[in-house]
Amino acid sequence: MLYAMKPIDNGPGADIAARSRGRARVRAVAVSATAASVLATAGIAIALPGITTTQASTTTTQGSNHHATSHTPNSSSGTSKLKSPSSAPASSSGAPQVSSGGS
Amino acid sequence: MHSSSIALWYASRATGVVCLVLTTTVVLLGLLVSRQRRLPGLPRFGVVHLHRYLSLLAVGFVSVHILTAVVDSYVSISVAAAIIPFVSSYKPLWLGLGAVSLDLMAALIVTSLVRARIGRKTWRVVHWVAYAAWPVAVVHSIGTGPDLRHGPLLWLSVSSVLAVIAAIAWRVAGSLGSGARLVPELLATHERIEAARR
Repeated sequence: MLYAMKPIDNGPGADIAARSRGRARVRAVAVSATAASVLATAGIAIALPGITTTQASTTTTQGSNHHATSHTPNSSSGTSKLKSPSSAPASSSGAPQVSSGGS
Repeated sequence: MHSSSIALWYASRATGVVCLVLTTTVVLLGLLVSRQRRLPGLPRFGVVHLHRYLSLLAVGFVSVHILTAVVDSYVSISVAAAIIPFVSSYKPLWLGLGAVSLDLMAALIVTSLVRARIGRKTWRVVHWVAYAAWPVAVVHSIGTGPDLRHGPLLWLSVSSVLAVIAAIAWRVAGSLGSGARLVPELLATHERIEAARR
C-alpha cells in the first residue's frame, strides 16, 4: 500500500503544470508592477512640492502670476523659456486702489 | 496657465520619478539574469521574463514622460530636443543627458528586438550600453529638477544608486570568483596533459 502514497504524476505533465504555474506567477508580478507604477505616478504627482499651492492659486485667484512662482521650483533658475501669464496681473490693478484710498 | 498644462507638467515629473524606479529595477534584474540567479517564489525563466516586461513598461513610462514634457506648454521643449542631445534651449546640459539616455535605450530596444538577426555576441556588446544609459538617466533626473534632491525622493534616488552599485559589485565579484576558480582548474588540466605527454 506504500506505493499508493507516492506522487503519481512525475512525468512531463508535472513539468508542464509547474511551468504554467510559474508563468501565472510571473504574470501576476508583472500586472502588480504595472498597477503599482500607475498608482505611484498618481501618488507622486499629488505629493510633488507645489501641487497644493498651485491648485489653491488656480481655484481661488484669477489672473494672478502666482503660477509662475508656485508651479515649480525649476522656474527659479531663470534659464527657462517660461511663457508669461496670459492675463494681466491682479496686483497692478490693485495698486491704484490702495493709493486712492490713502489720499 | 491652464490646469491641463499643470497636469501635464506634474505628470511629466511624476513619470520621471517612476522611470527612475523602473529602470533601476530593470538594471537589477538584468544583473540577476547575467548571474543566472532567480527570485524567491519565481521560476528561473521568471527573472528573464520580468526583466523584459519591466523594460517594456519602462519604455512606456519614458514615452509618457517625454510626451507630456513636449506637449506641456509651461516649459518649451521641442521633440528634437528630446531626441538630439544638447540642442534644447531649456537646461541644455541636463535635458541633453536625458536625450543621450533615451538614444542609448533606443539602441538597447532595437538590438533586443532584432537579436536573432544580429547575433548574440553583437547584442551582448550593445547591451553593455545599459551600464551607461542608467547613470546618464540618473544624472539627468537629479540635475533637471529639484524633485529628487529633497525629502523622500532624495532617499529614493540615493537608495537606487546604492542598490545598483552594490549589484554591480556583486556581479563583478561573481565574475572574479568564477575566474579564480577557473584558473586552478585550467592549471590542473595543463599539468595532466603535460604528464600524459611525458
